[in-house]
Amino acid sequence: MTEEFEKRTHEVLEESAGRLDGRTRSRLTQARHAALAQLAQPARHWWRAYVPVGAAAAVAVLAVVIWSGQPSGNAPTLAVSPVDDLELLADAEAQDFVDDGEDLEFYEWAAGETET
Amino acid sequence: MTAFVTLAGVYSTPDFGGERSLDQDLMTTSRALDQFLSSVEKRAFKIAQLGLRNDDDALDAVQDSMMKLVQSYASRAVDEWRPLFYRILANRIRDMQRRRTVRGRIMAWLPVRVDEEEEFDPIAEAPSHDPGPAKRLELDEAIGVLETAVAELPARQQQAFLLRNFEGLDVGQTASAMGCSEGSVKTHYFRALENLRAKLGEVF
Repeated sequence: MTEEFEKRTHEVLEESAGRLDGRTRSRLTQARHAALAQLAQPARHWWRAYVPVGAAAAVAVLAVVIWSGQPSGNAPTLAVSPVDDLELLADAEAQDFVDDGEDLEFYEWAAGETET
Repeated sequence: MTAFVTLAGVYSTPDFGGERSLDQDLMTTSRALDQFLSSVEKRAFKIAQLGLRNDDDALDAVQDSMMKLVQSYASRAVDEWRPLFYRILANRIRDMQRRRTVRGRIMAWLPVRVDEEEEFDPIAEAPSHDPGPAKRLELDEAIGVLETAVAELPARQQQAFLLRNFEGLDVGQTASAMGCSEGSVKTHYFRALENLRAKLGEVF
């Protein structure tokens, strides 16, 4: 009784599967071909998917390192870079002032005023 | 001496021999997978169709399962493909059912939209085979009643019934495909048969 019932239901379902329309059969064939086409493609390494994320993280870390190396915006600083010092040393007129030594005390006082 | 000959054979033509062997392996696997997928695709579609009650969703589920099988399990032994494929398909159907439940809850708040009529497609309308009007009518009725009853079964009973009865997997393979014990498969299958017999007793 049970076996008969199982056999009958199996036959009916098989009949139903055999009656699939042309569109469905065609789409199943396309799906199969699309799946098999993956075999011909070179294997993808899982870690390659993370390369852009890794690069972005590296850039972010670099940016943080550079930013944290900068002096804080609240501290008073003199906007004089080492390059400016070099220009000053190379400047012949400025050297004349130092050589003359006439107003050297004045310049020292002026520099002290700027720092305070 | 045998070892020397073997090594000499390997090192004398390492590239060409290796490439040819790889190509042959790939072709053999491809052919075996093609045969396997074409042997299960119609039944897989029916299983997905009964689980999802929508042809397009069923086709998507079958295609995704084929892709996943080829992508991840092509190198497995051929006997393992069937339970693996149906496990992937079962998971895919379950995911789509869950997604649809969530979508249904959201869409319940939106106004109903009537889909436009689809264009006539001669390929879609092509009949597969005709067994004669009387037999066809009888089968039509049997298919309609059975599919409705199967679609109304609880999900696990439906899976057990379709994998055991329709696809013909044994208890062990069904348990592997469903991700449960063999005892659970037997229980789900027995209950499915009882439910179906209660609904279809007069017709079948």
